[in-house]
Amino acid sequence: MKVSLKWLSEYTQVPGDLKAFCDKLDLTGTGVEGVEQTGEAFEGVVVGHVLTCKPHPDSDHMSVVTVDVGAGEPVQIVCGAPNIAADILVPVACVGAVLPGDFKIKKSKLRGVVSCGMCCSQRELGLGSDHSGIWILPEDTAVGTPIAEVIGSGDTVLDLEITPNRPDCLSMVGMAREVGAMYQQPVAYPLAADVAKLAAVTAGEDVAASVTVDVADPERCCRYTARVIDNVKVGPSPDWLAERVSAAGGRPINNVVDVTNYILYLYGQPLHAFDYDLLADEDGQVRIIVRGATEGESLTTLDEEQRTLTEDMTVIATPRRAVALAGVMGGLETEVTEATTTVLLEAADFCNGRTSRTSRNLKLISESSMRYERGVDENLTELVSQAAAALLAEVSGGTVRPGVVDVYGAPAAARALTFRIGRFNAMMGADIPADFIEDILVRLGCAVEATDDADVLAVSAPTFRPDLEREIDLYEEVLRLWGMDRIPPTLPGGRERVGARTPEQETLRTLNDTLRASGLNETMTYSFAEPGDIERLRLPAEGLGLAVELLNPLNADQSVMRQSIIPGLLRSVAYNQSRSVKNIQLYEIGTVFSAADGRKKAKERKKLAGVLAGAMGDDGWNVRPVPFDFFDGKGVLENIARELACPKVRFKALTAEEAPHLQPGRAAEIMADGASLGWIGEIHPLVVEAFGATAPVVAFELDVSGLVRVARSARPYVDVPTYPAVAMDQAFVVGEDVTHEKMLQVMTSAGGKLLESVALFDVYRDEERVGAGKKSVAYSFVYRAPDRTLTSEEVEKVHAKLVSKVEKATGAEIRA
Amino acid sequence: MAIAEELAALRERTLADIAAAGDLEALDAVRVAVLGKAGSLTGYLRSMGSVAPEERAFVGKAVNAARVEVEEALASAKATLEAAALAAAIDAGAVDVTLPGRAQQMGTRHLINGIVDEISDIFMGLGYKVVEGTEIETDYYNFTALNAPADHPSRSMQDTFYVRDLSGDAARVRGESDVLLRTQTSGVQVHTMEDWDLPIYMIAPGKVYRRDVADPSHLPQFHQVEGLVIDKGITFGDLKGTLDYMCKQLFGTERKTRFRAHYFPFTEPSAEVDVSCAVCHGEGCRMCKHTGWLEILGCGMVDPNVLSMSGIDAEVYSGFAFGMGVERIACLKYDVPDLRMLLEGDMRFLRQF
Repeated sequence: MKVSLKWLSEYTQVPGDLKAFCDKLDLTGTGVEGVEQTGEAFEGVVVGHVLTCKPHPDSDHMSVVTVDVGAGEPVQIVCGAPNIAADILVPVACVGAVLPGDFKIKKSKLRGVVSCGMCCSQRELGLGSDHSGIWILPEDTAVGTPIAEVIGSGDTVLDLEITPNRPDCLSMVGMAREVGAMYQQPVAYPLAADVAKLAAVTAGEDVAASVTVDVADPERCCRYTARVIDNVKVGPSPDWLAERVSAAGGRPINNVVDVTNYILYLYGQPLHAFDYDLLADEDGQVRIIVRGATEGESLTTLDEEQRTLTEDMTVIATPRRAVALAGVMGGLETEVTEATTTVLLEAADFCNGRTSRTSRNLKLISESSMRYERGVDENLTELVSQAAAALLAEVSGGTVRPGVVDVYGAPAAARALTFRIGRFNAMMGADIPADFIEDILVRLGCAVEATDDADVLAVSAPTFRPDLEREIDLYEEVLRLWGMDRIPPTLPGGRERVGARTPEQETLRTLNDTLRASGLNETMTYSFAEPGDIERLRLPAEGLGLAVELLNPLNADQSVMRQSIIPGLLRSVAYNQSRSVKNIQLYEIGTVFSAADGRKKAKERKKLAGVLAGAMGDDGWNVRPVPFDFFDGKGVLENIARELACPKVRFKALTAEEAPHLQPGRAAEIMADGASLGWIGEIHPLVVEAFGATAPVVAFELDVSGLVRVARSARPYVDVPTYPAVAMDQAFVVGEDVTHEKMLQVMTSAGGKLLESVALFDVYRDEERVGAGKKSVAYSFVYRAPDRTLTSEEVEKVHAKLVSKVEKATGAEIRA
Repeated sequence: MAIAEELAALRERTLADIAAAGDLEALDAVRVAVLGKAGSLTGYLRSMGSVAPEERAFVGKAVNAARVEVEEALASAKATLEAAALAAAIDAGAVDVTLPGRAQQMGTRHLINGIVDEISDIFMGLGYKVVEGTEIETDYYNFTALNAPADHPSRSMQDTFYVRDLSGDAARVRGESDVLLRTQTSGVQVHTMEDWDLPIYMIAPGKVYRRDVADPSHLPQFHQVEGLVIDKGITFGDLKGTLDYMCKQLFGTERKTRFRAHYFPFTEPSAEVDVSCAVCHGEGCRMCKHTGWLEILGCGMVDPNVLSMSGIDAEVYSGFAFGMGVERIACLKYDVPDLRMLLEGDMRFLRQF
């Protein structure tokens, strides 16, 4: 909403300190988005006195003049205007001035004669249409005066952000009321005086004789008024009117259209002027029908766009065709033109929601639709129509037919509310006096009366404030105009509260800490996915459910919700690799979605996913990081299992059928307490390639709820040993099919209570020394008794038994 | 007294050898040669039997004296040599301390979650609980229960992502659906009001979605932290004090806040909160668009309609709610030039935080 302060000051006093005024507007709820000084356009344009005027030596229509501009030496200017002469006062745009249209005045040569400026016509200054010659100024004007002062066009225009609850502020009158309340200043409202002018221009037959209005559905249009203005001469608007329309951000078009726009800016009531004759049926009667559009109905709007309409849009129609898109824009066919002599003036109130949807769906937002969307005061519609008709007749030389066609179902009534002063102050944490409250409410247009209870005010809220529906709405008005900055800050004093994390939040915290300590960097990827992502990943669809489909995706490759985080992470791997970043350690904890037929809300599961590519850093002077493989990912999961104290964790090899997305032989399922938590492995090289990345990429994806379920908050204490241990090393040669897990099972069961720990410290393969299809696995055993120092005989006996059991159970041979 | 002379000579020679020993090995050779099993001084002790009885006491004494003297000399020489060896080893072990250390590489928290953690910690310190909700929400919980008008522009297909409703229910507005990607985390607050006992002190951080094409200043998915307090006697002053405390914790105690009246359907009265600009301290600069203030969150007293819809008596209880965009805070704190960096997973970006 553009507000000219010059215009506003006709109704209420505008503070002189612009910065303070803007701050106060901001704080009371009217955001100032821009401040424009329109006088600035004339900077460098001053009143000049033409001293001499001679013909141009090399041109028969140009003159060379010297002009006193009030400062320094007179300047020489080449001028082409026919009315230039010596000893007249003219506007001079000096070198450096910028005229409307971004026209910069420079020193130049015109047919060999130097010209240091320009004598201007009115049109060149953007002040009117007169371009017949130089604008000759009155003789009493002082030389050197800025032209802005002479014409008084210096104005400040504020661009204000009006919140959706304040339709009343989308008008000059509404802003005057608001500013009056902000500063507790009087406001002079112009409506009564404007309406009073109607009687003098009224003539002819009652409008009801020639116009009928049929509102088919009052829900679409709660009030429709029509007036007719005859003998209209369409032409340019008077300067004051054009200036007002421009100041409000509009473009002056002709006197009829300018009046409708002026009234809209002034009172916030949208109007539309039809060419009566183009609207009338063959019998000269106008039959207006306000109805829903038919599906696919076509209408060319004023902007010369052909629009295809849908049923929920409302049109103004004659029995033959639609002529305007209700509340949004008029039709081109019935537009007021220079040929128009009779105008039908519409002032109506259309349904907020439909107007807003219509303008959005057609991507057509107009000054009208903006106001209808927020709500127009239907109680004022007819009065504003009177003011508009009177002004239209005045500026176009026409006359207004007596009467009005006014279809108005149930008039809106003022709302009766109460205001409990004590409760208000208690809720605000303030002590705002009753007389301030009453004064503010009255200034905002409410009627306020005392009640039997001194604490309670009876308030009647005006129909132009549809947002004032309840007591709390009044509280807001008083609070914002009192000033939120005047409320002392406090903290709630409630007793019954403690801040605490849920077990899941605790687990997530541990999880994040562990992942970071393991060297992984948290990232985020899109929750959106491409429909083929799961197939591209080759992830088994079992258990993933249906993809959640977006009805209005931004683009095809983001048209469903993800079912796995891995595709997003693989894209991030590719993103990094394509930028020569080789070492990638990423994880994300996020939601995946799965829909099912018959279910409204899709299931959401939190997943933890990670990818590793490259190594844990670059080669350094003292470190040589090893390229990532399966075991780096597994190490991360082992850290997690340890930190969350997950019981009975085991890794189970996954076959190529079970995990087609993983490289066979490097794929496992992680289990805890018998339940699957997720998978880990090296992504299949072909899958990596399909996502544009370079293998190997180690990845894992776990179910967070599974982790939360098995996580233990504490591990049991185990006594720190007091007796010495005996360490033994032993290497076995076993077949490749004998897993470490199998070896551990045999060894721990054979070692009994005295075997404290077993650690694998070497795996060695050599066809000659170890044998084909075999491996040497070397373990370090620690034997200890909790209550005594073990003798070497005891240890040797247990160890020998262990070795022989391993030999028997696994076919292992002892390696010397 | 040939023995005495011999001993004296041996002592002299041995002390000279000790003094001459250049390292611990040479010193030990001297020790072995003199005091070892076959050592020269040991030889005297062994041959005591062949010494005349009347001389034994004297010789024994002399031999022992020589041995004590030699042992002391050996110990002292050994200490000196050891000190020298340690000094040499220390010299040799000197390093260039400016060389990089050897450390397990640590990972990093995502900038956005880092800020969410910070905000959560602030509010947990104030006695709030942190609550999460689902990202897919129904129209009711995302809009209606929050007092959003039926035709509010934010509900349009242009602004909200709608999801195919597989329950078979028909949509109220053509092209829309009853199910959507939440555009705010406020729905969590409604669930909380319905499900929890009063009083309520909670924040709801989470991912939200709006139908904006990703560009440097927009993302179709971003994060919000919204908060809700409902208790007896909650005032607008409490709202101011709480958010002022949060802003000072988050941005620095020297920062100021200001509350500008605004409009949100969920709250009444409503306000937007600005913090003073860190660059110009309120003077006005490019960062704050010459206002001296940076908009940081929206807030207000919970609208009584919202309370009643959740079955809470608005005459007895009052409350406040607030919401802020985490990405916006990230931009203000770190001057991130392009929001899309937050979703690319670029290691060079992630490892900065």
